[in-house]
Amino acid sequence: MALPRALQGIRVVDFTWVRAGPWATRWLGALGAEVIKVEWPEAERGRQSGGNTTPPDVERGLNTSGNFNDTNANKLSVTLNVRSPRGMDLIRRLISVSDAVIENFSSRVLTSWGLGYEELRKLRSDIVYVSMSGFGHTGRHHHYKTFGPVAQAVSGLTFLSGLPDKPPAGWGWSYLDDTGGLYGAMGVLTGIYHRNVTGEGQHIDLSQMITGITLNGPAILDHTVNGRPSRREGFPPGNATHWPGAPLLNNYRGPTAAPHNAYRTSPGGYNDWCVIACFSNGEWQRLAQLMGSPDWATATELAGLDGRLRRQQALDRGIEAWTSTLDKYEVTETCQEAGVRAMPVQSSEDRVEHDPQLRHRDMYLALEHPELGSRKLQNAPFKLRATPAVNHRPSPLIGEHNRQVFEDILGLAHEDLVSGYEDGTFWPVDRVRYPYMEEMLK
Amino acid sequence: MTAPATGPLSGLRVLELADEKGQFCGKLMADLGADVVKIETPGGDATRTVGPFLDDVPGPNRSLSFWHYNTSKRGVTLDLGSGEGKGLFRRLASTADIVLETFKPGYLASLDLGYEALSATDHKLIVCSLTPFGQSGPWRDYLSSDLLHMAAGGQMASSGYDDSDVPDAPPIAPGGGNAWHTGAHYAYMAIMAALVHRTATGEGQHIDASVHDACALSTESAVASYIYRDEVVIRQTGRHHSASPTPRAQYRAKDGKYVNALTGGGRLDPASVRRLAEWFDDHGLAGDLMNERYRDPEVIEENVHHIVEEVIANFIANRTADEVYHEAQERDYPWGAVRAPDELLSDGHLEDRGFWTEVEHTELGRTFVYPGSGAIFNGSPWQISRRAPLVGEHNDEIFGEELGLSREELARLSDSGVI
Repeated sequence: MALPRALQGIRVVDFTWVRAGPWATRWLGALGAEVIKVEWPEAERGRQSGGNTTPPDVERGLNTSGNFNDTNANKLSVTLNVRSPRGMDLIRRLISVSDAVIENFSSRVLTSWGLGYEELRKLRSDIVYVSMSGFGHTGRHHHYKTFGPVAQAVSGLTFLSGLPDKPPAGWGWSYLDDTGGLYGAMGVLTGIYHRNVTGEGQHIDLSQMITGITLNGPAILDHTVNGRPSRREGFPPGNATHWPGAPLLNNYRGPTAAPHNAYRTSPGGYNDWCVIACFSNGEWQRLAQLMGSPDWATATELAGLDGRLRRQQALDRGIEAWTSTLDKYEVTETCQEAGVRAMPVQSSEDRVEHDPQLRHRDMYLALEHPELGSRKLQNAPFKLRATPAVNHRPSPLIGEHNRQVFEDILGLAHEDLVSGYEDGTFWPVDRVRYPYMEEMLK
Repeated sequence: MTAPATGPLSGLRVLELADEKGQFCGKLMADLGADVVKIETPGGDATRTVGPFLDDVPGPNRSLSFWHYNTSKRGVTLDLGSGEGKGLFRRLASTADIVLETFKPGYLASLDLGYEALSATDHKLIVCSLTPFGQSGPWRDYLSSDLLHMAAGGQMASSGYDDSDVPDAPPIAPGGGNAWHTGAHYAYMAIMAALVHRTATGEGQHIDASVHDACALSTESAVASYIYRDEVVIRQTGRHHSASPTPRAQYRAKDGKYVNALTGGGRLDPASVRRLAEWFDDHGLAGDLMNERYRDPEVIEENVHHIVEEVIANFIANRTADEVYHEAQERDYPWGAVRAPDELLSDGHLEDRGFWTEVEHTELGRTFVYPGSGAIFNGSPWQISRRAPLVGEHNDEIFGEELGLSREELARLSDSGVI
């Protein structure tokens, strides 16, 4: 590639697993860091997690999860038994020639390995160490464990999503694994920048659950400033900004508006929905015109926001009668061309196959994976003009880069690599080796 | 080690020309120590009209949303459309490391204030344009909102209800304005990458960041399920979307609140059922779980529905959500109470981590509690340094003291609507 990458020359030792941590290092890799994922097949969590995403015609295994492929692109993989003295020696040598260490274990794991921050500093005085545990490394509940939906529940995020008088709908995936991953990457980048400027490293102690709390700011201030209880009539109001009949209070999504909802579209399938929002009387008038100016829509009581808020149910019924006759992309184009806010509800298939904007932005470009074939991977949502962040390699096979890392970076002799497979340093002695490992050991 | 008073981005100056899309990115940089100067239109930006408001009374300096998203920044007002406004902006830009802007694509360039113009005299400058759909493409000029992004990005297609909870429910857009958070997180990441590159090479660059791209990335394995298995996920109450239905996760506690108690297929082995039984038995709620027959994994397998939907659900129904949450966690079950935001204030763990931050509002003579930072940086703190700026609060300080405009000039610019 002609252009340089932003993190060229930055080496990251990556102990992360499952989703949040690997999502962080995926982006560091896309930005050009040399990310070395340290794994051990007997204690592996992530190469088969996230539901079954192995293609139906491929055998499930450590190297065939589609979700893993997307979450772990742009990295190298080494296998190393860090609980053996030889493995621990090698990991310490690797850390000593690296810029950052990142992990998302529970709070005391790295310290129990003898690799807490004070030890890491002895190996590399300016190391940037980012830990991504559920509750952080300090505080009375540091030992609590989370996965995405639990962190979302405890942080208040789940509560803010749903219909009034119903159970919380929450988030339909581990939003705090995605977002927690972003904070992991943001932490490494911030720490490296600070180190480049000051020469000082540090420990950045992230908490997945607490980052979730910081996303509820206006709801929290409505309580700490105004004393308003979060549990109240008509809240949360689903897709609306205000639930009809409830006191008129802000719902923390943005401006109060009507219409502001999801509407069925033709042909009425599971994801045949669109959303429409009118943030001004002018936007509403334009929508009414698009619908053919029916009498109900041009009625004077709907001309102002107060009237539309009071009559939301009738308003929504009228709008849905119109959208139901159109495809969701037709609704979107018709509205947007007239200056009315509308978008289709897009499934994963819609985004990958039908979204013209994501296609224009090259969001899904394919890379060849040795077991999965040519597959589209999700690309970066930003274009850095001088240093593009582009996926440049698929996820690594487990232990694929042992020779590259231990021989080329650490200077291990080839016979020492071979002996490490015989004594269980690089692979469990009683576990079948993959053909590419045998190839590496020739 | 005692933490120095400056954050990791100390020494950086950021000019923020940002609405709801970018103000959170600016807050992150400001709370992390950068000198973020928010440039608003004279009279204040529209983000000041978004509620809730102090005492429910609207006003440009009373928006709690604005308060939250603009901590640690300084604020000036400036009409970029006027000739003098442009001149002042160029002078400010020459002092800046980063310009963060969320205008419609091409707007700053039409004023001759875009990246090309600004970087011509300052090759170290980083300009991040964070827009709904990016700087080009068929949807470039489309209007947006949080709800619209949640629809197009796939958040709604993944979130909603089981039919048994809400028959025929629509897809539900998760609340709280998280389309903007997601866009801001990636924009922050891109800016930091550009800064690291600049520390190595001395060169700045332009960043074209898109909220839609960012949201479309953020549904975990939904896209992989489609790409690798042609499966489109269904929506389920309070838990992961899935290609096919999975056991429910949320149970209603005695106090009417909910607990997320997803047991997961693998967790119910004889040892874990025994531990559940002993815990429940302390409260006389073990049902038949103490029965020796549950030492047989096959019996557990045959009775999963009974164990989860009857015994566990009944235990939770007879205890408060907080009791279940803490007792479960102490026993290594990763369960959690579905807490409302106002219930977080009494959480001792957050107190231990110094999370809540008292922020002084000198103009009101009052101090309010704000949510603090998501991480503890042991070498350079991430912390709120001041409340959000009042409209034009730092006009004198920045245009006068820093750029050297006289009192008379400031008064004239104010009268003519430039600042």
